[in-house]
Amino acid sequence: MDATDRAEDFIPAGLAALGIEADETDLAVMGAAHGMFWPPIRDLLSFDTVDIEPERQPDLSKAPES
Amino acid sequence: MSALDLPLREQAAAIAAGDADPGQLLDETLARIEQRNPAINAVVETFPERSREMLAAAPDGPLRGVPVVIKDEWPLPWRAQRFGAAELPAPTAPGESGPYKALRDAGATIVGVANMHELGAGSTGNVSYYGPARNPWNTERCPGGSSSGPAAAVAARLVAGAVGADGLGSVRFPAAYCGLTGLKPTFDRSAMAGHHMAAETTAIVSGPLCADAADCRLLGSVLCGEELSAGEVAGLRIGVVRDTVSEDVAPEVREACDAAVEALHAETGGEVRDVSLPDLERATLAAILVVNAEGLGGITPERLNNLHPEISPIARGFMKYRMLLPAAAILQSARIRTLMRRRLAALFEGIDVLAWPTVPAVAPPLEAPLVELPSGTLTADQANVRGAALANLTGIPSISMPVGLSSDEMPIALQLGAAWGRDELLLDAAEALERANGRRWVEALPPLARTETKAAEAR
Repeated sequence: MDATDRAEDFIPAGLAALGIEADETDLAVMGAAHGMFWPPIRDLLSFDTVDIEPERQPDLSKAPES
Repeated sequence: MSALDLPLREQAAAIAAGDADPGQLLDETLARIEQRNPAINAVVETFPERSREMLAAAPDGPLRGVPVVIKDEWPLPWRAQRFGAAELPAPTAPGESGPYKALRDAGATIVGVANMHELGAGSTGNVSYYGPARNPWNTERCPGGSSSGPAAAVAARLVAGAVGADGLGSVRFPAAYCGLTGLKPTFDRSAMAGHHMAAETTAIVSGPLCADAADCRLLGSVLCGEELSAGEVAGLRIGVVRDTVSEDVAPEVREACDAAVEALHAETGGEVRDVSLPDLERATLAAILVVNAEGLGGITPERLNNLHPEISPIARGFMKYRMLLPAAAILQSARIRTLMRRRLAALFEGIDVLAWPTVPAVAPPLEAPLVELPSGTLTADQANVRGAALANLTGIPSISMPVGLSSDEMPIALQLGAAWGRDELLLDAAEALERANGRRWVEALPPLARTETKAAEAR
């Protein structure tokens, strides 16, 4: 199943759940975005970050506290 | 030569010394906007009376009487920002934004609002409610985005300085495409108040776009509310990012950037060494997800169902798609942010600056913003964000500077990044590179400015 196939399920279901209306142009744009972003999002979600201790309220103007 | 053709700092010095009349400079600026702007659509609104009022009330600050433009991303007391769109999904109103107050208190004269890519959502500037801005180097090419108008305005010498914003490279891309120097300051260092995302963003900063680093230092100091002091840069330790992403660039861009790094090395001494930044692609995605999630603040399904009909189809569809991003991916992005911040902190213990091309290819055509890279054809947005997003994700400062022209006479740019708070070092390094290049690239003028400036000199 490729990203486009997923878009046919994912996008209408998501829009319906949120009550967002979309015409054919919207769906075409969303399908293209999904094809571009979904594979790397899946990669990101499967990336093991269990050993990364998140910064608590990081101050992005400074280096992280070690 | 008109004072208008002087660098920002020299305009300020000439006015302070009584050698230039700021009223005359304002009139010349407005006349030049009228003359040159139709070809590039950089400035979308002027307000001569407001500008004259600012000038009349200007305090004796570092930019007294100097004309500048500001991106359509902050409110002014007489105008709400439109963010390059027919309508902003978030409510806006006129007001005294942080950048406005910084410019006003420095004595600057805001002469116009500059164009931008619609809703800040593109690196090319080819989509805007006002129509696309055009690149003064070739008006059929993209000027870069989202700060398209600020860059085109400075490149065409409508003004010598412009205020842009950078959330995923939006100062650095147009600086690169238009042959300018653009600084993305350390997060939270420059004025942001009044931006409709100021309370939510962890990535966007205001930043200067100017012809060279000294002008960026001056305008950047005003935006940061503190002196970005000049220093000697000796023994600079340069880390060149060697990564599949950073290496996937057009050959002439790679060649010019390698030559620039060598020139910087020769000028400053120190060392050059290759460094790796694993997971750069994941970091890029994390930055995109964070910025897009933060941009959803205040947006409801009802608002999305009632968008202004003149919002572009791409912006409309993408806004709706953003609502479907999984929360788990946003949380995962926060962990990637931590990971990359720690890796960068470790890296900056051994080097002073990171170097890689700002954009992997020169400005593409407005009609089809695609770039040819060794890996194939990509949209400019896909290609550009890979080299820029890390600074926004982690908060570090970054600067883009011109380092050459392509075979088709379009600017090529190098990017340097430094540790948090070392914005001054980036400006020092950029000035060192300018010296090494004999200021060749920062003084190069695009055809639009070149022809008329030479004609004026001849007269």
